[in-house]
Amino acid sequence: MSDRKLPRLLQTPAVLLLLIWMLIPLGMTLYFSFIRYVLNSLRRPEWTSPSLSNWRGFGNYEFVLNSKDFLFAIQNSLFIVCSILFLTVVLGVLIAVLINKTFPGQGVVRVLLISPFFVMPAVNAVLWINMILDPVLGLQGIAVSGINDVISGLQDAPLVGWFFGLWPQFEPISFRATQTSAYAVITMVTWQWTPFAVLIFMTSLQSEDQQQKEAAVLDGANSWSQFRFLTLPHLARPIAIVVMIQAIYHLSLYAEIEIVSRGNGNKNLPYLIGEFANNNIGAASATGIFAVILANIVAIFLLRMIGKTLME
Amino acid sequence: MPIVANASRFSKFGRPTLAWIVGILFFFPIFWMVLTSFKTDADAVKPEHLIFFKPTFDNYLNMTENYDYWRFAKNSVITAVMATVFTLVVGIPCAYAMAFNPSRATKDVLMWMLSTKMLPAAAVLYPMTFITKTAGLFDTHFLIILVLSLINMPIVIWMLFTYFKEIPKDIIEAGQMDGANTWGEITEILVPLAWGGIASTALLCFIFCWNEAYWTVRLTTTDAATLSKLIEGNRAPEGLFFGRLSAVSAAAVGPIVVLGWFCQKQLVQGLTFGAVK
Repeated sequence: MSDRKLPRLLQTPAVLLLLIWMLIPLGMTLYFSFIRYVLNSLRRPEWTSPSLSNWRGFGNYEFVLNSKDFLFAIQNSLFIVCSILFLTVVLGVLIAVLINKTFPGQGVVRVLLISPFFVMPAVNAVLWINMILDPVLGLQGIAVSGINDVISGLQDAPLVGWFFGLWPQFEPISFRATQTSAYAVITMVTWQWTPFAVLIFMTSLQSEDQQQKEAAVLDGANSWSQFRFLTLPHLARPIAIVVMIQAIYHLSLYAEIEIVSRGNGNKNLPYLIGEFANNNIGAASATGIFAVILANIVAIFLLRMIGKTLME
Repeated sequence: MPIVANASRFSKFGRPTLAWIVGILFFFPIFWMVLTSFKTDADAVKPEHLIFFKPTFDNYLNMTENYDYWRFAKNSVITAVMATVFTLVVGIPCAYAMAFNPSRATKDVLMWMLSTKMLPAAAVLYPMTFITKTAGLFDTHFLIILVLSLINMPIVIWMLFTYFKEIPKDIIEAGQMDGANTWGEITEILVPLAWGGIASTALLCFIFCWNEAYWTVRLTTTDAATLSKLIEGNRAPEGLFFGRLSAVSAAAVGPIVVLGWFCQKQLVQGLTFGAVK
């Protein structure tokens, strides 16, 4: 029937758009990753326009693999992603179990808790690194100097003064520094994404089998073993999904890293690509291909899992 | 049993208290930003004015002078609204076809669409810059609208598909018997029926567009620059402008956070692709 054909055709615009969006830029990245291509070069001006005659084979990949920034960026990407995943899942499960039962003001607490998720990443980073974590003017700085003031006041007190004399002066931590900027990023992203984990775990907890729980209570199971043997297995699937979705998002973390320290001591793969792309397009593209491979490892598992529930 | 007694006392007082503490802790940074936005720049960094200060609206009144806020806000509104509309216009027919005339390939097409969402944006940073600059699209509303649509299209189609699937096929087929053509089926039967689902999908799409922070920053300079770009450009005020920066930040996220409160449920669906119910 001809009117059966038409509906199928309705998919075409979306499919075509997405196909172009995916294939052309990615194809170009793949092509650039195999040629010598830089934006500025006085010595080799022929490298400044993309051309097959500048074929370099796997040279860009070799160059990238041998640069110490790359190894560090991979390590750092994984460190940041794994830390965030660990923190958000643990906090998410605890908070979801905590607020899943009805109590006065549950709706308000939910609203308070979910809010960070809707804050745009740029504001999140600016807010945390300046107003909260700044070592002098932020809340951290103010808190540390307040504590130091209290301690030095107590040193003059009778009887206990000698004890506080033993205390050191506290030093505020600068989170823009090389060693600490990753922790600042982990903190702010964890703050933003824990609500996401909570929301998903709560949704899942509402479908938990209550009869099974009641039976367990009758059998004398305490809260811990209920949690351990009923709730946690029930949450296994949502946890896996939260882990994979977050992994995909956080592997491309950018704004937070840029704002906290301009990548100083805290580059991840997207940031490294951005830096290479200032001049060495070949290297940027090869790094991009590595990033695609890394993301795909996660994506394949995620897609399998989602695919199972799709057509039911 | 003592354990049960403890448990019930915990659920009566301990649980609500703890839950409220956790909620307040998570909200605190937002509260702090809003509080700081009512301080003068000088007061904002003085410990003695941490909590007690003379509130001022100047930071909000001077947003245009200080940051040209409304220009960026206008760009954010234009791009996010237009991208949402465009995504729906392309997405609704697609999801309609997939839900009511599925073929064997439908599932694979949907999965493939999702997989485009999982490509790291940075991998195609240079090609995108290259293409858009060559085509003269760099820093235009058109480009940002297109990119935001493409980023969100997989999720939008996915969500619409799950909503449409719930609608009984008979209703659509009854429309066909009455002689409605495909266009009529969509506009007169499907859209009114699935209005709630479409609205919440649109809301979520709008939020994602508004908060997007990679392409809107990398593919704009001034003409199409959104609020993400504005905030990122003022990343390190070194304490000089905490008051005014808080105000502009609060203005940038306030409406979205409030919108977000209304679509918590859809968020779960949209972000987990319907895999958690």
